[in-house]
Amino acid sequence: MSIELLLALITGAALFGVGIYGALSQTNLVMIMMGIELILAGAMVNLVAFWRYLHPDTPAGQMFVLIVMTVMAIEMTVGFGVAIARFRAKGSVEMEEATDLKG
Amino acid sequence: MTTALLLLLLAVGAYLVAVIEDWTTSGRFRLAAPAFAALALLGRESIVPRKSDRVFFETAPVLLLISALLAATVIPLTANLIITDLATGALFINAALVYVLVALLMAGWGPNGAYAMIGGWRFLGQLIAYAMLIVMPITAVVMRAESLLTTQIVVSQAGLWNIVYQPLGFILFFVASMALAFLPPFDLTTAKGELAGGVEAEYSGARLAVFRLGRLVLIITLAAAIVVFYLGGWQGPWLPPWAWSAIKILAVTTMMLLAGRYMPRIRETDLLGWCWMLGIPLALLNILLVGLLVLVLP
Amino acid sequence: MITAQALYIGFFGLAAVWFGIVVFRTFSMVRSALALLFSQTALGAMFLSMQAEFLGVLQIMMMATEMSIMAIFMVMFMMDPGGLGKMDMTHQKRLSLVAGIVSFVAAVAVAVFVDWGPIASVAPDAAQQTVDLGLELLGRSMLIFETAGITILTAMIAATAVAIPPVKRNPSKGTANHEH
Repeated sequence: MSIELLLALITGAALFGVGIYGALSQTNLVMIMMGIELILAGAMVNLVAFWRYLHPDTPAGQMFVLIVMTVMAIEMTVGFGVAIARFRAKGSVEMEEATDLKG
Repeated sequence: MTTALLLLLLAVGAYLVAVIEDWTTSGRFRLAAPAFAALALLGRESIVPRKSDRVFFETAPVLLLISALLAATVIPLTANLIITDLATGALFINAALVYVLVALLMAGWGPNGAYAMIGGWRFLGQLIAYAMLIVMPITAVVMRAESLLTTQIVVSQAGLWNIVYQPLGFILFFVASMALAFLPPFDLTTAKGELAGGVEAEYSGARLAVFRLGRLVLIITLAAAIVVFYLGGWQGPWLPPWAWSAIKILAVTTMMLLAGRYMPRIRETDLLGWCWMLGIPLALLNILLVGLLVLVLP
Repeated sequence: MITAQALYIGFFGLAAVWFGIVVFRTFSMVRSALALLFSQTALGAMFLSMQAEFLGVLQIMMMATEMSIMAIFMVMFMMDPGGLGKMDMTHQKRLSLVAGIVSFVAAVAVAVFVDWGPIASVAPDAAQQTVDLGLELLGRSMLIFETAGITILTAMIAATAVAIPPVKRNPSKGTANHEH
C-alpha cells in the first residue's frame, strides 16, 4: 500500500461525498448537476490512480478516464437542454416545484 | 537561465506589440509611447467599484497574464530556446489559453458593472465560436508532425511549411486566434465605442496596466504559436534561427493587428453562425485533406 | 515514506476537495461555478503529478470551457445569482449530509482495507503514454470510443431539439412563426 495511492483514493472519496451531499441537498437543477460533476470527478481520480499505481502499462486505464469525461459532457448537454425546456415551460428550474410526475 | 532570457524576450515582444498597435491605430510610429502610457497608468488611482466581487476583481488581470505566460512556456524560439518541451505541448497551449476566457468572465462579473458583464458574457459566446477552430487546425498540424511536441512540429516543416501544406488550417487558425485575443474585428468584448471598454471598463490604474500587459503578452504568444504551427518556426536560410523567429513573429503580429482595421466588427452571434456552419466543416475538410496527404506523400 | 509526489498529490487533492466544498457554501452563483472549475483544475494538476500528462492537460482544458458555460446557466436560471440576498437554496440537509459522510467513510474504508496488490513504481514517460493511448483508442477500444462520439452527437442533437423554442404554425398563412 503506497501513500500516494491512498491519498488519491481519499481525495476521490471526499469528492464523491461532497458531490453526494450537493446532489441531494440542492434545490436547483444546475446546482444538482454540479454535485453530479463532483461525483464523476471523484470517479476520475480513482481511475487515474488505479492506472498509475496498479496498471501503468495498460493504456485502457487512461481510456476509461476519457469515457468519464465524455459522460460529464453528455450530462452537461442533456441537463442544460432539459433546464432550458423546463425554464421555458414553467419559469423556473427549482426541483421543489417539479412535482408533475409525483403520483 | 533559459526561463529568464525567454521572459525578457517576451517583455520586449510585448512592448513591440504595444508600439505596433499604437502605429496601426494612430498611424504614427512612436517608440516611447507605450512606456509613457504605462507610467501614466501606474501613476493613476486604481479605483475599486462599490459592492464588487473583490476576489474576482483582483484575480482577473493576473490570471489573464498568467494564462498567456503559461502558453508561452511551450513555444520554442530556437531548437533549444524553450522553457519546457512538454510531451503534450500542442495541447497545453490550448489548455492555457482557455483560461483567458475564465479571466475575462471574472473581469466581467467581478466589478459589478453592466458594461463589464456584457463584455464578459460576449466573450463566452465568442469562445464557443472560435474554440473548435483553434483545436481542429492544431489536430491537423499534429497529424503531420506525428507528435504533440512543439519542437517536433517545427522540425516536421523542414521541407515544406504548413502554410503551404495546409493553407485552410492556417486561415482558420489565424482568424480564431484573432478572436481569442479579442482583436478587431472581434473586439466586442472590449468594444470601445459601445461598451466604454467592456471588460476593461471598471479597471483603472495599476490593475488596468496588468490587464493590458496580459493582453499584449497574449497577442505575442498567439503570433508565436502561429509561427510555430504554420510558418516553420525558427527555420529559414542565411539568418540565424533566433532572427528568423523574431522576424516571423513580428510580421505575424503586424498582420494580426492590421487585418482587423479594414473589416467591420462582427457580432458574436454572427461569429457563432459563421464558425459553426462554415468554419467547422472547413476544419474537418482540412483534417481529411491533411490525412490523405500524410498517407500519399512520403 | 513521504515523497515529493505524495506531497503534490496531497496538496492538489486538498485544494480540489476544498474548492468542491466551496461550491455549495457560497451564495454567489458565479463563484460557485468557478469554484467547481478550480476544483477540477486542481484535479488536473493532480493527474499531472501522477504522471498522467495527457489526461491532466486535457482535464485542465475541458473543464475551463464546461464550467464557464455552467456559470452562464447559473446566472440565467437562479433567482439570486449575485448571492446578495443570501437565499437558502437547500432542502433535506441532514439526510444529504449523512449520505455524503457515509459514502465518504465507506469509500475510504474500501481504500484502506482492500489489499491493492503490488504497487508499480514507474510509469511510462509522457510521450510513450500519448502514443499508447492513441493506439489504444484507434485499435482495441475503437468501438467504445466511436460509441462515445456517437452518443455525444445524439445528446447534442437531442438537447438542441429540446431547447429550441416551440414553433407555432400559423394556419392562415401556413408559415412557421416563433412564439415570442
